[in-house]
Amino acid sequence: MIGVSLRKYLRAGLAGVVAVALSSCGPKEPAVSGGSTVVRQITEAQYRNIIRDVFGSSVTIIGRFDAPGREAGLLAVGASKADIAPATLERYDNLGRSIASQVMEEKRRANLVSCTPKAPKEADDACARDFLGKVGRMLYRRPLTSAELDLETRIATEAAKARGDFYAGLEFALAGMLVTPQFLFIAEATEADPDHAGLQRLTGLSKASRLSFLLWNTAPDEELLAAAEKGDLNTKRGMERQIDRMLDSPAVEAGVRNFFSDMLGFDAVEQLAKDTIIYPAYSSTVANDLKEQTLRTLVDLLVTKDGDYRDIFTSRKTFMSRQLAMVNRISAPTETTWVPYEFAENDPRSGIQTQVSFLALHSHPGMSSPTLRGKAVREIFLCQAVPPPPGDVNFDNFNNAAVAKTARERLTVHRTNPTCAGCHKVVDPIGLTLENFDGMGQFRTTENGVPIDVSGDLDGQPFEGGVGLGKVLHDSPAATSCVINRVYAYATGRAAGRGDVAFIDYLEKRFAADGFRFKSLLRTIAESDAFSTVAAKPASQSNKVAFDASGHKELQP
Amino acid sequence: MGLNPRVYLAVAAVAGLIGATVIAASPAKTAPAAKKSYGFVVSSLFTAMNDSKYMDECPEGLTESNDERWLRNMTPEQREKVTAGGKRTHVDRRLAAALRGPNGEDVCWNPELVKDPPMRTVQSGTSFGMNLDGTTDGKATAKSCAHQKFVGVDGTPAVDNQLFRLMGCTKGWRSDGYIENSAQTERLDISQGIILVEVTDVDDTRNDDDVKVSFYRPTDKLLKDGTGAVLTYVSYQIDPTRYGDTAKGRIKDGVLTTDPIDVHLPFFGNVVISEMYLKDMRLKLNMAADGSSAKGQMFGYYDWETWWDYTRKIGLAVIARHSCPALYEASRRLADGYPDPVTGECTALSSAFKVEMVPAFVVHPNIKTAQAH
Repeated sequence: MIGVSLRKYLRAGLAGVVAVALSSCGPKEPAVSGGSTVVRQITEAQYRNIIRDVFGSSVTIIGRFDAPGREAGLLAVGASKADIAPATLERYDNLGRSIASQVMEEKRRANLVSCTPKAPKEADDACARDFLGKVGRMLYRRPLTSAELDLETRIATEAAKARGDFYAGLEFALAGMLVTPQFLFIAEATEADPDHAGLQRLTGLSKASRLSFLLWNTAPDEELLAAAEKGDLNTKRGMERQIDRMLDSPAVEAGVRNFFSDMLGFDAVEQLAKDTIIYPAYSSTVANDLKEQTLRTLVDLLVTKDGDYRDIFTSRKTFMSRQLAMVNRISAPTETTWVPYEFAENDPRSGIQTQVSFLALHSHPGMSSPTLRGKAVREIFLCQAVPPPPGDVNFDNFNNAAVAKTARERLTVHRTNPTCAGCHKVVDPIGLTLENFDGMGQFRTTENGVPIDVSGDLDGQPFEGGVGLGKVLHDSPAATSCVINRVYAYATGRAAGRGDVAFIDYLEKRFAADGFRFKSLLRTIAESDAFSTVAAKPASQSNKVAFDASGHKELQP
Repeated sequence: MGLNPRVYLAVAAVAGLIGATVIAASPAKTAPAAKKSYGFVVSSLFTAMNDSKYMDECPEGLTESNDERWLRNMTPEQREKVTAGGKRTHVDRRLAAALRGPNGEDVCWNPELVKDPPMRTVQSGTSFGMNLDGTTDGKATAKSCAHQKFVGVDGTPAVDNQLFRLMGCTKGWRSDGYIENSAQTERLDISQGIILVEVTDVDDTRNDDDVKVSFYRPTDKLLKDGTGAVLTYVSYQIDPTRYGDTAKGRIKDGVLTTDPIDVHLPFFGNVVISEMYLKDMRLKLNMAADGSSAKGQMFGYYDWETWWDYTRKIGLAVIARHSCPALYEASRRLADGYPDPVTGECTALSSAFKVEMVPAFVVHPNIKTAQAH
C-alpha cells in the first residue's frame, strides 16, 4: 500500500517514474466492461443540501417528501426506480414556490441575485439571463443549454411584465426550474471513451455529479463544475485532484453519514414505535439520538480517525447524549448535547451492532426479536438475503409464556414447525446472542426471571453475546465484501452485476491492502475506470439523456 | 399521592474524583473496594398527613376559609351582588375574598388587620413525625416551646408534628386536597422546585455507619415518560450556585438516617417559587439492597418565615380553604421550635414529609465526560 502522504508526493509529479513502479505493486483494476447509466431522483437530503448550498441555510424547506423505495439494500439504488406521482409534483411545486419566494425576499436578493436590474419594476432580460444561467448551472449540475436559458429568461421576462416586478419574474422562473426533471433527476450523459475502444464514459459533468453525490451527497460545487467544464475530470490527474480535495473537506462527513444512514436503514427511525408502557424511556428524542449516536460513531472512526472499517463491529468508542445515557444507564454531563464515551472493556456493548439504534430498530414495539436482529445482521452487514416469512405462521406456541419464558425457548418451540425452521436456523442463532438487550436496546440479564443465554453462532462459528458477534463480523470477509458492494452500488446507482465480479474482487483486495480504510475505499471507487465507464448500447438505447427546455425527456441518438 | 411508585437506586462512585458523583475507572485489584454514590431525584413530596377517612381528627370540622369569612360579614343582598346571584364560584371569588381588611386590604398580606375566630386544628393524638425536641412531654426547652406531643403512626412515643396539627383540618392540605396535589403535579410538570439527593461514601447499602447525604437543585429539566412518571437514570447537572447542604448519615438494615442539619431545599408549588428551610432536618429512607428503591420521610423544624412566605401567596392564588388571619395566628401560636432569643416566640414548626425518589445521575460541574456505573 502506498501511504497517503507518499501518494500525494508522487502525484505532485516529482517522482513520476517511481510512482509508476510503486503503484504497479498493488492490486490493479481489471479491464472494465462498463456499467450502465441510471437516472436517479434526488433524495430529500440531496434536495435540502443543494438548496442550502445554492441559496444558503436561512432558506427554510418545509414540506413532505415521498418515502423512497429500497432496492438491493439501498435507497440510493431505489432512487433509480422512482417516479413522480401528480401529488408528489404538487408538493415539489409548493416547495419550489416557497424557496423561490424566500430567495427573492428583499433581505436576501442583494446577496443571492447576481445582478441589479435597470429598474426593479420592469423586466430586464440581461440580468434575468445572468441570474438564471448561474443558478441554473448549480441546480442542474451543468450549464443550461441555450434553448433552456432562452426559455427561462423569457418566462422571467413575461412574468415580470405581468406582475410589474423584476424579482417577481425571477421568482416565477426559479420556482419553475425547481420542478424540472433537470433538477429533480440526476440524468447521466455519456460520450465515447477514447481510452476504452467500443465503450462509453460519463461526460465530465455527469462524472462530477456522481462524484459529488457520492462524497458529499450534494450537487457539485463551483470548483468541481469548473473542472468538469475544462475537461479536467477526463484525466486521471484531474480526477485525483478533485477527489483529494473532496475527501479532505469536512463535507465528506455528510456523504459518509448519508451512505451509512442508507445502508443501516435509518429512514425507518422516523416510523420507529415502541410501547412506552414497556419502555418508558422511549421518546422521539431518543429515536433521533440513537441514529445520531451511530452516525457520530461511524464518522469519528472512519472519517476523523480514518480507521479500519471492520472496527465498527468492535469499537467501544462512541458518543452519548443525555437521553441515550439514560437508556444505557450511565451518566452524562448535560452542558453539551453530545460527549465522547468509551464503554469499558468488560462492557456488553462494543460495535454498532450493540448500539441502541440497531437493537431498537430490529425489534418489535414491545419486545426484542432475535429473528429480526439475525435477519438484519445477515442483510445489512453481510449482504445476504433472508426470505420473508410465509403468511400463515401459527404463533400460538410462540406467544405462550407458559410454554416458554425466554426468546430462546420460544424460538425453539417455533422451530418445531418445519416450514419456519429453514429460515429461523439461519437467523436465530445470530439474533439470540443479542438477547441481553431488550426491545429498546436496554441491557438485561434475565427475561421473565430466567437468565438469558447469549450463546450462538454464525455459519457454524460459535460465539457469545453482542461482543462475540462483533468479533466474528470484524473478521468476516463477507462483511467487508458487503460494504464494498454497497458503496459501489451507492456510487453508481445500481447493484453490482455479473460484469462487475472482477472489479469487486479488485476492490476487496485494494480495501484489504489499504487497511480497510473507508475513505480509501471511496477513493478507489471514485478513481476507478469502472466508476465512469459505461457499456456501449445500440443507438436507440443510448444513455445520452437530455431534457428539452420544456422539461420533456428525450433520448438523443 | 405518589405519582411514581417505582423507586430505584443509581450506582456511582467517587474513587479518586473530588466532587465527582460517578464511578471512576475500575480500581486496581489490590485497592479497597471503591465507595459508591447513589443519586436520586425526588419524584414525590407531600406533607405527611395522618388524616382519616371520616375526619375524626377534626371534631370541629374543617377550617373556615377566607371566602366563608368574607360572605359571613355580608347582608344577603350583598352576597347576591358579589356572587352574581351565586354564579361566581369560590374559585372566581378568590381574589376578592382576600380583600376583607378594614379598608379592603388583602388579609393574606396583612393578616393582623382582621381577627378571625381561632382556626380549627387537629385534635387527635396520632401523627407521622419524629421526636425532634427530645422530650417525652413537649415541655419547653432551650430549642423548643411547650407543645403537645403525638404518638407516631408506627407507635413511636412523643413525636412532634405541629405542621400536621396546624394544617390537618384544612381541606387544601389534607391528603386529597388541592394544595398539596397541585404543588406536586406542578413541580413535575414545570420542572421547578426539583430536589436532587446524593448519597456518597457508601460501602454497603445494607449497613454503613458513615455516609454523606447532599441536597442540590438541578439545572436540567425533569424528564418524564408518557404516563407522567419521572424517568429513571437520567443525568442532572447540579446548580453549583445554590443549595448543596450535606448531612452525615448511616445505613442500618437498609434504612438510611441522617444527623440533624439545617438544610435549604428548592421548593415550588401552586405557582409560588419558594424554598424549604428545615432546621434540624433528618432523613429516614428505605433503600433496597440492589439500589432499586428509595422511599421514606423527612423531618425537621420548618422555618416559619419561609413557610409563611409560601402559604400566604397561595392564599391569593388558589382556594386553599383557610383563613389567612386565622392561619397566621394559629401558626405562630403552634410554632414549637427555635424560640426567638428576644421574644421567646418560636420561629419554626415541627413537620414531617413523605418523599419518594427515583434513581438519577447527579452530575457535578467538574465532570465533562460520560461515565459508567
